[in-house]
Amino acid sequence: MMSESNVINEHVKRGRRTVQLAVALALFVALIYTLTFSRLPVWLPALH
Amino acid sequence: MTQAITAVAHDQHEHPPAGIMRWLTTTNHKDLGILYMSFGAIMFFIGGVLIMAVRAELLFPGLQLLSPGMYNQLFTLHALIMVFGAIMPFATGLNNYLIPLMIGAPDMALPRVNNWGFWILPFAALLLLIPFFLQFSGIGSGASGLGWVMHNTSLDLQGGIGVDFAIFAIHLLGLSSISGAINVVVTVLNMRAPGMALMKMPLFVWAWLITAFMLILAMPVFSAAATMLLTDRHFGTHFFDAANGGDPILLQHLIWFFGHPEVYIVLLPVWGLIPHILATFSRKPVYGYRAQVYALWAICFLSFIVWSHHMLTSGLPLAAEVYFMYSTMAISIPTSVLVFCWLGAIWRGAMTFETPMLFALGFVAHFGMGALTGLILPDVAVNAQYHNSYVIVSHFHYTFFGGGIFGMLAALYYWLPKFTGRMFDEKLGRLHFWLTVISFNMTFIPQWFAGLDGMPRHIADYALRFSTMNFISSVGAFLLGLSQLLLVYIVFKCVRSGPKATGQVWEGAQGLEFTLPSPPPYHTFETPPAVK
Repeated sequence: MMSESNVINEHVKRGRRTVQLAVALALFVALIYTLTFSRLPVWLPALH
Repeated sequence: MTQAITAVAHDQHEHPPAGIMRWLTTTNHKDLGILYMSFGAIMFFIGGVLIMAVRAELLFPGLQLLSPGMYNQLFTLHALIMVFGAIMPFATGLNNYLIPLMIGAPDMALPRVNNWGFWILPFAALLLLIPFFLQFSGIGSGASGLGWVMHNTSLDLQGGIGVDFAIFAIHLLGLSSISGAINVVVTVLNMRAPGMALMKMPLFVWAWLITAFMLILAMPVFSAAATMLLTDRHFGTHFFDAANGGDPILLQHLIWFFGHPEVYIVLLPVWGLIPHILATFSRKPVYGYRAQVYALWAICFLSFIVWSHHMLTSGLPLAAEVYFMYSTMAISIPTSVLVFCWLGAIWRGAMTFETPMLFALGFVAHFGMGALTGLILPDVAVNAQYHNSYVIVSHFHYTFFGGGIFGMLAALYYWLPKFTGRMFDEKLGRLHFWLTVISFNMTFIPQWFAGLDGMPRHIADYALRFSTMNFISSVGAFLLGLSQLLLVYIVFKCVRSGPKATGQVWEGAQGLEFTLPSPPPYHTFETPPAVK
């Protein structure tokens, strides 16, 4: 059985990990969007 | 101690608020799951009505009911609504309802984002439909009529306001899908009950985790392509405008870079839920668990490197054509692993054939036909013959309907008693299955033969020699549409007066969700369950 403070710490840690992961994934989405907008696929000569 | 703390945290909203405010403001994963699934079901019937009009036009040769422009709008809206408005939201509803229950989490990790992601959807659907109705008031030229992936660049650039509305709808749908996908990844990686290791997760959760990664990678590309199209149309850029140095084929590359993974985004959640159903009604454990997880990852990877098999007639260099042919055929290897695992699951099992099992077996058979025809089409020489013919229409309906919809119906019947707390009418369920199987094949087998005979798709009229096949196909489509009304009655009867369901629901059912009562309480797993 975990102590009350350990449970609260675990809860806080989980909340922090949730935000960090969600922000990282949102930034990844923004990166893909920007790369596409910069016409990255045009640089792939095999497709032309 | 944990129990005490979580009990305090949730004490103030143990019961849901009453009335419409519950559904507008809810952040509860079960409520949002029901909302997503209901929205998907409503859009399924709207998309179905649209295609009934198309099939009515194709019942006989000649133009009887629709102008070619109206015909184009109807099949485009049908496709956009079915893929983005019906199948994807229904699958998202299943993940919302089931993933927290399956991994022993109290809710999704980002409940408010979850609510926001859902309430974007009705507005996106309105954006798609508004220009269609505006044309009857003399405003604009109707909805987009350019097909679900809008890959005819010159028409995209010249199209009316329907294209702009579709572009904005795509952005909203993208926002909804991406927020939902981020929520799934965070929930699965961060909210599992103690002891629920990744390789102990139910296959449905694995499939949705992989689907979410695919959405995160593919959807921004589609959104960016739509933004680029918008700026080309209205803000003087020339990404795709050949007359000003742009590259029209680039739009096709971008759209299919999204469009092919999208096929698997639709199918992976179904591939994840089918093993649960087959195992339950065969009274056996899931067969080949690890093999299926690795196969799903392999399909995820391969789906991102094969997109140009949709463009084999667009003038790609020979080396690229050969590469896309073989890479596409390579998908059949992990797909075969999945199919053999499904067959392994029922092999020598103590099978019974309740409605969910019938739909699951129907899925295996029909998806198998879709997959086999998909193995033929990337062949460069064959593709040159069948590109843009009814062969394609038949093929992708065997994957999307025979695979996607059959799987979703299997899931609906399997978990409906869990959602509602009541059993459905088994006899009517079986009748629904057989009517669906017969009418589905009656609709799409003739389209295959019409395509082989050279009938092109996206046309409102056709040569006389295609008459018989089109007549049979249209009658089949009307039967298919009517037989889905039986589903509405079955669900309505189940909710109103079905006999009470137990928590276990099905004799052989396994999984954390079946340890809860049916329907589960408003809040579940506030104290994480012990997973061995």
